[in-house]
Amino acid sequence: MSQHQISMVLDLNKCLGCQTCTMACKKLWTDGDGMDYMYWNNVETRPGQGYPRNWDKIGGGFEDGKLRPSELPSKEDYGQTFEYNYAERLFQGGLQAMPQEETRNTPNWDEDVGALMLGENYYFYLPRLCNHCTNPACLEACPRKAIYKREEDGIVLVDQERCEGYRYCMKACPYKKIYFNELLGKAQKCIFCYPRIEKGEVNACARQCPGRLRFVGFLDDPSSAVHKLVHVHKVALGLFPEKGTEPNVFYVPPFNPPRSGNYGKSVLDDPRMPMDYLKYLFGDEVVDVIRRLEAELRHAQNGGTSDVLQLLIGRDEHVRYQIPRHETLVQIQGAHKV
Amino acid sequence: MRSVIGLLICCAPAWAQNLLDPTSAEWRSAATMILALHRTPPLYSTDAPASNEVQSVQAQVLHSAAGNFVRLEWADKTHDTADLPKAERSWQGDHLVAQSAATDRFSDACAVMIPARPTAGDLNPSLQMGDPEHPVQIFFWDSTRGAAVMEASGRETTKRTGQSFPAQSRYVAGKWVVTLQVPGLKAGTPFAVAIWNGSQQDRDGRKYFSIWYRAQ
Repeated sequence: MSQHQISMVLDLNKCLGCQTCTMACKKLWTDGDGMDYMYWNNVETRPGQGYPRNWDKIGGGFEDGKLRPSELPSKEDYGQTFEYNYAERLFQGGLQAMPQEETRNTPNWDEDVGALMLGENYYFYLPRLCNHCTNPACLEACPRKAIYKREEDGIVLVDQERCEGYRYCMKACPYKKIYFNELLGKAQKCIFCYPRIEKGEVNACARQCPGRLRFVGFLDDPSSAVHKLVHVHKVALGLFPEKGTEPNVFYVPPFNPPRSGNYGKSVLDDPRMPMDYLKYLFGDEVVDVIRRLEAELRHAQNGGTSDVLQLLIGRDEHVRYQIPRHETLVQIQGAHKV
Repeated sequence: MRSVIGLLICCAPAWAQNLLDPTSAEWRSAATMILALHRTPPLYSTDAPASNEVQSVQAQVLHSAAGNFVRLEWADKTHDTADLPKAERSWQGDHLVAQSAATDRFSDACAVMIPARPTAGDLNPSLQMGDPEHPVQIFFWDSTRGAAVMEASGRETTKRTGQSFPAQSRYVAGKWVVTLQVPGLKAGTPFAVAIWNGSQQDRDGRKYFSIWYRAQ
């Protein structure tokens, strides 16, 4: 357990699926050799296959305190990386800009497909990054002790010098948020933009988000938005809590709008998506969270003021982000070193 | 510490110019020993247990003025290796980045472990990568990434020294033949062999291993 835990809350009711966060992360961290296929931050349509394909069904996490077995995602599961025929298009003319090879699977392959319920389509976007778990299965699995959780902020990192590319961590992570750089023979993952965080700057994915759906701060800071949303108002939940890793990325579940033609009805009474699907993602507690959010919405619609909804609007950066500069945190130098 | 379970491998003096060549004539006349291999027990619950597909390795040892050499030969139906493009940790320039072609493949590999310091009598270091009083040197060869010298003083203490060593390999007709130059493998030195089968997701402690033998 680290002394402090930095955290992110994402309001899924506000995500546009624009992938600006994905590109911000890609340009900053994963444009090097061997990293083409990696999206440390990705946005996937739910219901859907996810990235990597079927990551939520292939294992990992804990069961009865022990690491669960898992498949290792293949390159095809992550999706193809390809170039376009720009040279032909620009200099020969008459051609469409097309991928240079037939595409069979890409990240976000099933964008906006969703599913049907009572004849109506439904889907929502699920942005994903490393959960920087309190009980990281990746750390538990690594025989090299190459993975460590920083005392000062709880960020989970892979020591690139110690890593031997064994990929036990990739199997152990129930969220499949560790990637293998085959060219370097190293496991690589989201670093929660720690060089930015150390300067008091928010993560690139959050900074670039036009939907203003990301809240970042320390969970143990009572003045932070993340603390309020998770611990005070209790409207944000981790993904797959039963996997036992105690994720520190939380989601405000989609609860609005209701089905068409049923304005004013509760999502719980007349859901536009199967509640079992939300329970599958966020656990049974999601019903209570939606009940709380609906009560707040009703209160606001009746002319009251809802602190939760005002906070979730997240008008300004100072409302969404509370990141103290690193020198103000308790520093335990070298505590993670083996 | 384990006592020697003594199977002796006879070594002829050899003066070959290039004993690293697995096809060198010197190896044809060298004494051969079949070393039984064992699977390590399932160490990691993330991985399914593996079947025992590589049951033995043929080992030869030659000492010459050029050094001490080991030739290992084992059957492996799957040729698990990759030819990787050169990669930089930080990309610069206008070229396209090199891509990772796969995320789930592992390489065939082998290693020879010897005591890092001379041992007394017939005692050997622990087979689990030595022990604090009896550290070991490991001459590790990976079919994709080449040769690397490692050192260890017990399980989960293995680390690379940053040094390489001469090694050559051939994969023909379902068999690997790998020759390694192991400076410390003098006559009478205990050694143990490990084999990794990439198609069984072998890496790290998930492998085949022999008991200690001595080259005489």
